[in-house]
Amino acid sequence: MRLRAPVVTLVALLAAASAGRGSEPPPIARRVVSLNPSLTEMLVAIGAGPALVGVDEYSARLQPDLRSLPTVGGLFNPSLEAVLALEPDLVVLVPGAHQRDLAHRLEVLGVVVLQLPNITLDQVLGSLEALGRRVGHGAEARERVADIRGAWREVEREAAGRPRVRAVLVIQRDPLYVVGRGSFIDAMLRAAGGENPAAAFPEPYPRAAVEWLIEAAPQVILDATDDPEEPQRHWSRWPSLPAVAFGRTLAIPADIVRPGPYLDRSLRLLARALQRPGLETRKPAQPARSEPEASEVGGGEPAQPALVAP
Amino acid sequence: MTVLTPRRVVLVLLAMLLALLAAAFLGLVAGPSSLAPGDVAAVLRGADPTSAAADIVLRVRLPRVVLGMLVGASLAVSGVLFQALLRNPLADPFVLGISGGAALGAILVLSLGGAVGLGYAAVPPAAFAGSLCTTLLLYAVAGIRGRVSATHLLLTGVVFNAFASAAIVFLASISGLMEGAGVFLWLIGSLSASRVEVAGWVAVFLTVGLGCAIPLARSLNLLTLGEESAQQLGVDVERHKRILLLATSLMVGAAVSVAGLIGFVGLIIPHLLRLLLGPDHRLLVPAAALGGAAFLVVCDVVARTLLGGRELPVGAITALAGGPLFLYLLRRHQLRAFAP
Repeated sequence: MRLRAPVVTLVALLAAASAGRGSEPPPIARRVVSLNPSLTEMLVAIGAGPALVGVDEYSARLQPDLRSLPTVGGLFNPSLEAVLALEPDLVVLVPGAHQRDLAHRLEVLGVVVLQLPNITLDQVLGSLEALGRRVGHGAEARERVADIRGAWREVEREAAGRPRVRAVLVIQRDPLYVVGRGSFIDAMLRAAGGENPAAAFPEPYPRAAVEWLIEAAPQVILDATDDPEEPQRHWSRWPSLPAVAFGRTLAIPADIVRPGPYLDRSLRLLARALQRPGLETRKPAQPARSEPEASEVGGGEPAQPALVAP
Repeated sequence: MTVLTPRRVVLVLLAMLLALLAAAFLGLVAGPSSLAPGDVAAVLRGADPTSAAADIVLRVRLPRVVLGMLVGASLAVSGVLFQALLRNPLADPFVLGISGGAALGAILVLSLGGAVGLGYAAVPPAAFAGSLCTTLLLYAVAGIRGRVSATHLLLTGVVFNAFASAAIVFLASISGLMEGAGVFLWLIGSLSASRVEVAGWVAVFLTVGLGCAIPLARSLNLLTLGEESAQQLGVDVERHKRILLLATSLMVGAAVSVAGLIGFVGLIIPHLLRLLLGPDHRLLVPAAALGGAAFLVVCDVVARTLLGGRELPVGAITALAGGPLFLYLLRRHQLRAFAP
């Protein structure tokens, strides 16, 4: 027992020293293990799918082409041994409470780990470029990033002339989780012409009380929960929600919340969902008075007139 | 101890009913949003049923208060019944692992039920089956005829609780339920994940449970003397025991199926009321129903207002209050057991 600590420290120091030696770019990775579905999706998108030798179970579920690859455990319980057995020259993961410890142990054992955070827009695009450089597909990654930035400018330009729409994006209904401040989704909502009342929460994905949602009075609820119950049916439990009165509770694909390589598509989808005439801007916590509109995205029911006292 | 007169029963229950109404009003007034008590009162008087305030009071808080009452009453009454049936002051559906068994039954349906065509409607019956099986197991393992050994009972409960938690995590892991926060809420106990549609189930189960327990209150009094003494005094022990066990399993199953594992309500309320009102079950059973209901509603108010907008699971509040009380009771019980 007494021996182990110095040995581990020594190994860690040697690993750090060898990593810091010289400033030449790291060699191109040929055997990659991805422990996160959005990083897996990025690798596949930039043409580096063949370099993958193992993925987490969630990645395998989302990417049918990768089902033949060995899996190394779930998002929350990846197996150190299974990762090592694949002899990867690069392990990519998102630093989070569940994987930070694994990353540390892998590094101690001499495995190269690339930790790519994915909360903010810059982080997501940075991850895409960093992955491209490490797997020798830098050009494809830069192209993807350029497409996303292009779509971004286009959508922002279109939204600039329109009044902002109070929109809340729901990740989970019960307990309620929404998109708060600082995440790439929050940035997409704003670019697409939305005003996110949940940006008042300091966290990127806060848990919110239903009471909060009712007081926030969103004109649009973007429901990315994949819940079998129709959004309009679920949210009409609280008929004072303007989004319910306007029939603008829209089902959007749950993968929109994944920080993957196709943010341009997600952004255009959000822009379409928010681009509705007849939604007046108004001050917070006051009932909306605009005329109802039938929704086109998602399966919103025919709208009911807003029942508001004149 | 004061004699139990009809007048006293009525007065005590009336007082407790008032306490429950006060708790319910608190439950409607308190919350993370900025509604003033005046707005709440206006909504309750019927002002503009389409306003945001009406949504918050009538469609967010009211269902929660109703469900809190039903769950609290079910748990407290089951606590009273278990303590009488097992003649053990430490008996509580949570401590004994019966809630854990109910949760296991529910999770079994939630995780694997889809494969055999069972939907959400199958959860309450599954929770009931889980609590019934656990009660029977408890009797088989720890309950040797006559006096049930407290040590055996608690050990069995502890071990079964650990087993049930592990099995729940296992089932959740293999079925992908682990990815959300849902299972965590189940294990700690919360009224947030509940919908008003399920309140009907709990109300039915609670009514059946109370309907069995109140007429048998006299038998419960005699059962606390010991099964043999009760038998000699004319109680059909085996039959009454079966009815009461079924009733408690029903109530625990109903409570767990909507709110997860909320601990210690069945311990705190019965003991508090025994101290205040004496041990007569004719008063204790209905009083526990009202007291448990009021207690859980107040705990839920604490849970959803203590940290502002962030919500605590109510099970964390009841456990924080109940854990120390349990240790105190265990200590006192031990000392008494060693006394001549």
